[in-house]
Formats: sequence, C-alpha cells, structure tokens
Amino acid sequence: MIRAVMVMNTQGKPRLVRFYEFQPPEKQKELIRSVYGALSSRADNVSSFVQADKIFGQDTRLVYKHLATLYFVFVFDSSENELAMLDLIQVFVETLDRCFKNVCELDLVFNFSKLHSILDEIIFAGHVLETSSEQVMKAIEEIARLEKTANPISIVAKSVSGRLGR
Amino acid sequence: MASTMRGLSVFISDIRNCQNKEQERLRVDKELGHVRTRFKNEKVFPKKQGLTPYEKKKYVWKMLYIYMLGYDVDFGHMEAVSLISAPKYPEKQVGYIVTSCLLNENHDFLRMVVNTVRNDIVGRNETFQCLALTMVGNIGGREFAESLAPDVQKLLVSSSCRPLVRKKAALCLLRLFRKNPDVVNIDGWSDRMAQLLDERDLGVLTSAMSLLVSLVSNNADAYWNCVPKCVKVLERLARNHDVPQEYTYYGIPSPWLQVKTMRALQYFPTIEDPNTRRSLFEVLQRILMGTDVVKNVNKNNASHAVLFEALALVMHLDAEKEMMSQCVALLGKFISVREPNIRYLGLENMTRMLMVTDVQDVIKRHQAQIITSLKDPDISIRRRSLDLLYGMCDITNAKDIVEELLQYLSTAEFAMREELALKAAILAEKFAPDLSWYVDVILQLIDKAGDFVSDDIWYRVVQFVTNNEDLQPYAAAKARVYLDKPALHETMVKVGAYLLGEYGHLLARRPGCSPKELFTVINEKLPTVSPPTVAILLSSYAKMLMHTHPPDPELQDQIWAIFRKYEGYIDVEIQQRAVEYFALSRKGAALMDVLAEMPKFPERQSALLRKAEDIEADTAEQSATRLRNQQQTSNALVVTDQIPANGSLPVGQLSLVRMPSQNMEASSLDQGKVQGYGAVKKVDPESASSSDLLGDLLSPLAIEGPPSGPTTLEQSQGLETSPTSPGALALAPLSDQPNSIESIGNISERFSALCLKDSGVLYEDPHIQIGVKAEWKAHHGRLVLFLGNKNTSPLVSVQALILPPRHLKMELSSVPETIPPRAQVQCPLDIVNLQASRDVPVLDFGYKFGSAVVNVKLRLPAVLNKFLQPLPVSAEEFFPYWKSIPGPPMKLQEVVRGVKPLSLPEMANLFTSLHLAISQGLDLNPNNLVASTSFFSENCRAMLCLIRVETDPADRSQLRLTVASGDPILTFELKELLKEYLISIPAATPAPAAHPLQPQSPLPSSAPNDDPVLG
Repeated sequence: MIRAVMVMNTQGKPRLVRFYEFQPPEKQKELIRSVYGALSSRADNVSSFVQADKIFGQDTRLVYKHLATLYFVFVFDSSENELAMLDLIQVFVETLDRCFKNVCELDLVFNFSKLHSILDEIIFAGHVLETSSEQVMKAIEEIARLEKTANPISIVAKSVSGRLGR
Repeated sequence: MASTMRGLSVFISDIRNCQNKEQERLRVDKELGHVRTRFKNEKVFPKKQGLTPYEKKKYVWKMLYIYMLGYDVDFGHMEAVSLISAPKYPEKQVGYIVTSCLLNENHDFLRMVVNTVRNDIVGRNETFQCLALTMVGNIGGREFAESLAPDVQKLLVSSSCRPLVRKKAALCLLRLFRKNPDVVNIDGWSDRMAQLLDERDLGVLTSAMSLLVSLVSNNADAYWNCVPKCVKVLERLARNHDVPQEYTYYGIPSPWLQVKTMRALQYFPTIEDPNTRRSLFEVLQRILMGTDVVKNVNKNNASHAVLFEALALVMHLDAEKEMMSQCVALLGKFISVREPNIRYLGLENMTRMLMVTDVQDVIKRHQAQIITSLKDPDISIRRRSLDLLYGMCDITNAKDIVEELLQYLSTAEFAMREELALKAAILAEKFAPDLSWYVDVILQLIDKAGDFVSDDIWYRVVQFVTNNEDLQPYAAAKARVYLDKPALHETMVKVGAYLLGEYGHLLARRPGCSPKELFTVINEKLPTVSPPTVAILLSSYAKMLMHTHPPDPELQDQIWAIFRKYEGYIDVEIQQRAVEYFALSRKGAALMDVLAEMPKFPERQSALLRKAEDIEADTAEQSATRLRNQQQTSNALVVTDQIPANGSLPVGQLSLVRMPSQNMEASSLDQGKVQGYGAVKKVDPESASSSDLLGDLLSPLAIEGPPSGPTTLEQSQGLETSPTSPGALALAPLSDQPNSIESIGNISERFSALCLKDSGVLYEDPHIQIGVKAEWKAHHGRLVLFLGNKNTSPLVSVQALILPPRHLKMELSSVPETIPPRAQVQCPLDIVNLQASRDVPVLDFGYKFGSAVVNVKLRLPAVLNKFLQPLPVSAEEFFPYWKSIPGPPMKLQEVVRGVKPLSLPEMANLFTSLHLAISQGLDLNPNNLVASTSFFSENCRAMLCLIRVETDPADRSQLRLTVASGDPILTFELKELLKEYLISIPAATPAPAAHPLQPQSPLPSSAPNDDPVLG
C-alpha cells in the first residue's frame, strides 16, 4: 500500500502532501522535513530509492523523481513493487503535464486543489486506481465541466498563474 | 475549481512573497483569524452574516493549504464536513477532499455524515458516488464499514455502473476489509472474484487485482479458483499484448497490472496444477528472456518492474534449478549496469535470492562486483551491497568480506558506520575461520570505530580468550601493540587492560612487556578514563601484582599508592576495589588463591548474535540471511569444553511417540494431550545467558569456579518441559550444548502439509533437511527420503528406523551412516497397505554433529487418504449402492459439531485434496455434498466408498456426515478422517503440539494451506 505522496520543491516547501494513513499535523511537518533532508543531500544520477524506515518505520520504502525544481515522492510498503511506483510517479507527472501544458512548479502552487483531484483519480486510498493518463484526463475533464456548470465565475487557470508569476 | 477562487490565489501568492518563516507565520495567523471569525459569525448570526457555499469552499481550501504548510488547523472541521451535504458538486467535492485530508477515521464529526455519504453511494449520481467512495476509502472507519460495505460490494459487481465507479468500489472495499475484516462479509466472494478477473476494462481489472491481493493475503485457501484466472490475465498482457493503447506504457502492456497479478500469485503457497503451472512458467520465461536494458529510462523502469516481479515469483514457486540459475545470471548482469535503479534492485533481489538453496555458489561468483558496489556514489546502493555481503557471507568468504568491510569503515560516512561495525562484528564471530583472526578483527573494529563497538562485543572477545589457552598470549601481545597507539578509544583501554592484567605475564620475556612496562603503559591512561574503566584498571593492577614473581617492590609501591589514592573515591565500586585489592595484596602468597586466573566461561549465546536476530525483522531477505547463518555457522568459536550438567537429559523422557491404537470406540477428541511427534525440544539458553556477563567480567570477587547460575536455570527449564505439560512446544532436550539444535519450521505443520501433497520438506534443522517425495499406486506406495546435509562438515552416526503401524508393510533401503558435506542421500521406502487405518508410520531419525546428538521422531505422510483414488460415480451407480448398504457398521452416520466455517466450495476443495471425487448434482439439495472414492488395500483391493455431507445453511458449525463402504473398518476410519479435517480446533489451544486430536491428524487450521489447485 502507498502510505504517502509528497510533492515538494528543492527548497523543501511542500506543494502537495497526502497521507493515506492519518498523521497529526506536527508529525506531517516532521516527516516532510526528514524526507527533504534525505533527498536534498542526494546527487543527480543516483538511484531513485532512499532508505525510509528510519523516517516512516519498518517495512517502508521511498522512491522519488527529481524534475526541474520539484521532488515527487511516493512512500509505500513492501506490498508494492518499487519500479512500478516509479512508473506511477511518471504517470502522475505526465498527467499534470497534459493538464497544465508544460507543467511548472507555479502551476502546482496555484492549482493545488486541482492536484488533489488528479491524485484522487490515480491513487485511491493508497492503492493504484488508474494507470492510463488518458483515463485520468477524462475523469478530470468531467470534474472541470461539472464545476463550470455549477459555478459560472471562473478564470482560466493559466492566466492566474501567469499574472502572479511575473 | 480552486484556481477559480481569487481569494485563494491571492492568499497563496502572499505566502509566496513572504521573505522568511516569521512573515509566513504572521500571514497565516492573520488568515486563520479571519476565517475563524467568519465561521464564528455565521454560527451566531446565520441570517445576517451567513456564508455562501462559495465562500465556505474558499475558506476550507485555505485551511487545507495552511494545513499542508505544517500549521495546525484546529477549527473549521465542522464547516468542511458540512460541505459534504451541499447539494452542488463543487461544494460537495471540496467537502469530501478536505475532510479526507484533515480528519482521522475516529473523528466524531464523521458520524454526522454517514447518512449523507450513504445516500451519495446508493444514489444515481455517479460523480457523487465517486466522491463518496473516495472519502470512505481514505478515512472510512468502522461505522462506515458497518453501514456501507454491502452497498460498496453491490456497486463493484453491478453491471449497470460505469468502470469509473466500479474500480473505486473495488478499492474502497479493499480498504474497508483491511481495516475491519470482521465487519465486511466476504463469504462466497471467491466466485465473484474469479468473475471479476474476467473483466475487460483494465482500470477495473487493476483495482480488482489489488482487492484479490488483499483477500488472498488474508486467506489464500479460499481463492484457489482465482489462480488460473491470474495466469490468464498474465498471458493476456505479457504474451498476447491484448490491451488498449492507452494502457500500454512505454510499449509495455500495463506493467502495474502485470506486477499486481504476479504479486497475487505469490500469496498462494504453491501452484500444483500442472497445466496452470506450465502456462505460468511459459509466461515467466518470456518475461525473463524478453527484457533488455534500453536507453529510455521510463521504459527501462517499466520493463524491469515486471521483470523483478517475475523473478520474485519464480523464486517463490521454487522453479527448476535451470531457471533459478538463469535468474541469478540476470541479476549478475543487473548489478553491473549503468542504470542505478536497476543496480540497486539487482542487489536487493540477489539478497532475497539467498533464500533459495543451491544458488549461493553462483551468487558468490559476483562477489567482486558486489564489493565494488560498496564504493558506489549512491548510499542507497552501498546499503544494499552491505546487506548482500552480510547475507552471502559464510566460512569460505568471511575473511575477504569482513576485511573489505573493515577497510570501508575508515571511509564510510557516519550514517553507515554503526551498521557496518555491527555487521562486521557479527560476521567475524559467526564465521571466523580461526580465533586469532576474530581477535584481530574486533581489535581493529574498536580501533577504527570504537564508538560503535558495544560492550557486548568486547565482552565476547574476553570470553573467547579466557576459554582458549592458545589464544591468550596472542591476544595479550596484540593488546600490547594497540596500547602504544596515540589517541586510543576508551574501549580499547578496557580490553587492553583486561587482557594484559590476566595474560600479560605470558609475555614476560618479550621486549617491552615486563610487568613494570605493562603497568606503565596502562597507567598512562588512568587519568583520562571514566570510572568504569578505572575499575577495570584497578583489577588489572591487582592481577599484575599477583603475577609478578619474584615480587617487584618498586612496582608494588606504585600500585599500592594508586589503591590508597582511590580508597576514598566517590564511586563506591572503585572505592571497594581499591580497599579490597590493597588488603588482599598485602597477604602475600595467599593472594595467589584469591586472585587466580579467571575460570572458563560457560558457553552462552552471544549477546551480539541475539541482538542481530532482534534487529533482523522478518522481511524476506533478512530471514533468508538468518536461515543461511543457521546453516553455516562456524564452529571455530564454540569454545567451551564443559558439558552442562543437564546435557544428558534422558531422551526416553521424550519418546512421546505414541502408536495410536485402532480403538473403534475412542472418539478422536478424547485422546487429548498427545503431543506432536518428532519435534525437538526447545531449551532456551538465552534467558540464562549473558545477563551475568558483566558481573563475571567486572566483579572483583568473581574468583571461584564457573558461575553456576545459568546451568541450574537451564536445568530447571529442561525439567519443566515434561511430556504432559500441554502448552510446551513439542520437545526433546537433545542437546543443551553449544550447538543446541532447533528445528526450522513447525514439524507438525510440515507433516500436515505432506498429508495433502506428495512432495515437500518433512524436517529441517540447521544441519539437515529431510525432503520427501512420494508416489502412490493403488495399495502400493513408494516414498523417497532425501537426506540433505547442509553443512560443510559431514553428519555422522546417521540412523533411520521405521516404526510401521500394523496395517502397513514397509521396507526402508539402507541409510548410510555418514552424510558427506553438502551432499544429499536418497533413501527409498516401499509401502504396502493392508487395511484401512489412521495410524501413521514413524521415522526414528538421529545423527551427530560435533558434540550435538539429534534424535527426532517424525511421522511419515503415509496416511489413509494416500490410498484413495477419486472415482466419480453416476446417479445410476450411486443410489443402488447407497441403498444396498442399510446401516451400521458398514454405513455410519454422525452429526458433527464444532465444524470449521467452510463454504461448500471450500469443503469441496478439501475433499478433492483428500482424493474424494465430488459428484455434482447427485443431491438435489444445494446445501449437500456427495462424494465418492475407491480405497485400495492388499486385503480387499479396490473398495468403493460413498460420502454424503448435509450442511445447515443456518448453522455452519454442524453438519451430518454419512459414510458408506463394504468394510466396517474402512467406513469408520474414513469417517473419522473426514471429521478430523472438518472440525475446528478451539481457539484457545496454545501450541500445535497440544492439539487434542489423534496424533496423525493434520492440524485442521494448517491443512488447507496446502490444498492443491482443483484440477
């Protein structure tokens, strides 16, 4: 089972945090800090695996991808296959890329609520829900349509982040 | 969506613009204050200052954002939860998502929405269904499970739901089941699961496969029918590439589904159906051979995800040796590729592979490459390499590996030093080819990483040196050399002072080793060490005085001066030593008696090894390591020469072998308190050992004979385990000596498993493995015993004696007296069945290894059901025969109570595994089961037996069992046999050995583990 999904930038600022087993806020903060500590000391071109049992307890593994200014981190237990988890990170990233057209950190910052929706279509309660990013996109578009029809005041996502990103 | 909320965006960009943490905190506090006020006002003046759903939504998102930044948000939970009940999608969505993130499953507020959630789930709106399922999956606690599980189950199998909903229902059910297995009713789900595996939609199929993994990990027996389906799924993906384009990931047909499917298969103990097995191996072979390392990283990851899972499955299935070697070869390739991820997993999987016997030698060929990985720039890879080296170490390569670790210790980063030091110490102790090497290694360890060398480690060195006279001058000389080094670790001062105090006089003739010189070099350290070390130094001075002949007045004055100086020392231990040593050393010759050399230590389990066992949790690779270590522990370090007083507890005490009589009256349940056969008594030396170690070493007055405490303790333990004591693990104090032998795995369970299959392991301990392979034909049987010596030294005085029951004729070919190192001896055993009986033959087996004598009594799986052959009968045959047998004694009927809760298909599986043919449709009542079989014996050749089971759907704990055959004895025995398999044991039964069934009855609880696949 997947225990946690974290997206944080290379300064350690969380951009998306999701625990599939409840953690009190203090603990969450500490975990994010420990993970950042473990990742920030790693060079490029090393493996995507980090020993995580000191941080998350026995029988936990951590894989991550370092893309531009972001770390994408999945924490899970031995019932999952490490490389398959790495693939799933890739699916998540590719989906974000489709969603935001050349996704960058700023997109994630201002659309963090949308990230939650996307993640919920890929991982469900700590288990792999969908692995086809086309299918995920379909679900996300449907959600967007529902929101639009229910809520006429809307600004296009890209323009907001663009405006604030100057 | 949130991006449409201007307020939220403004807030986020404010936070981004904060220059430091303090500013951020102020901004967050301001926002929290604002949100809090708005929420509060709404409660007070709902009309005037009520919030629009849009505002509520905005504030709730802000709360989540603040929460993510790591601030506690202790209000507003109610508002978040209440959004779940909002009629419109956007608010509802926010409510569900934020609630999932903020609240834990026991939160009171969740109760308020149970009904709303349920309405959303059973309602028609699919998007609402999805939201509700997601939240229930994420945080659904017991109440949700109780009220929603049946609805979720319905959604999953509903044909009218879209895949989008069904895949979520599958995973939601998984989570509810995982958290509250007692609440979710999954009876009869094996059929539904099998149907779900025919699903065409890959999203649903992936979720269903996860659900299967969860169900199977809970109870594999119930889902045998899914095995062929899983193999079909694999064939569909890996062989036929029959998947839609969108599920092809970098050219690989859904790697996740392939991986999950293979994972599910690993939860089944084995796959026996030859056709299924063959198909599966075909696919696995294709995966193993068809994967190459390519340029594209993502493609590599995906293809290797599948490949590594296939490797794990191959290992699990205990494939042919050829395929195993192929796997090792692949792994050997991986650990030298450039791609770090694959190198990492290659090392990790090689460590797992150590569990498989026979491949260790192949793995050893890669030792050089593995050692290179110890210098990899990536710490993750270095760790895996260390694990692997640790796991693959044995007597043959211990020197190389430990020296490599010592070398690495000097350059290793702090984070790894402790682990390195511990592992090096453990390996040195376990596999030392000779003791002087062991002493060298530990002294080097103390020198290079003294901080990480616990007291246990140096106590152990002292024990070995004390118990081995040859070693004493060597160790003392080594210690002398180290003491000359500058900046010594304090632990080194302790060991050095101790060794030189005890054995320094043995060096007297060497240059620089006169008593005075030794004293000077030790005494230099005195001003800088801590009190515990001072205490050791004082003892060491006293010993030196005693050993100096003729007495050296100058040395004596110096030492006395020190004793006097410490007479008033604040630490009581030191004060006492100083006073007593001073007084003693003035006694002159009498000193000799009091301060004589330390006696030998009784052998005790190494505290270090025990710690190592504690540390090693039971993940696969670690237990593999442990297993191997048990197999190959060096004998070099077994040093005691005394046999504990209780070493020869009469073996007769344990001859618990009890030949069950063929007593028709005795109910099987009455024969309680029979202990399982053939287990080896477990005398636990740990509890007695090493607790007093510190005392031995440090107590100044521990001068007389070996401490007797442990011995008597062990003895009393041994005696407590009397044959009738119910809870005791079945037992035989065969040896309390150094290598006290303990069986690996539960003997009783192994036997039970073999009752239902024809090959497997009958017995295993650290030195020997006894495998069994049997063939049955009518009333003849041929059972081959494979006696495998796991050691690098021979097993001697091997004895095997068969104690056959009356109804079997048995002939065992001769068993060699010696089994050469690492050799396997085959001993065929021919069996002829004369009559029906549930008695079992017993193999009385013994051997000697070193000073240990092992003797076990093992039940052999030549049981009644082996002489059955399933024989399906038609209605035309069945009824006339059934009616022709009117009643007792040839037809017996009994109402059996306390039956295990088995579904009918499960019961059918059980019967099939006992070689009974199930006749479908003969009995019109769907709650009944009719089966037939023919029994073979020399006396009556084939005899038809008919069985009918009538179950009560309202009370599954009882059923009526009727058995009919032409032979009263056969009828009775068969009925009793079936009863043993059907009856559940009371949960309170502590240990398998105390199980109150006839000894030959396999444990019902463990028996189904080995149900073969239904053919």
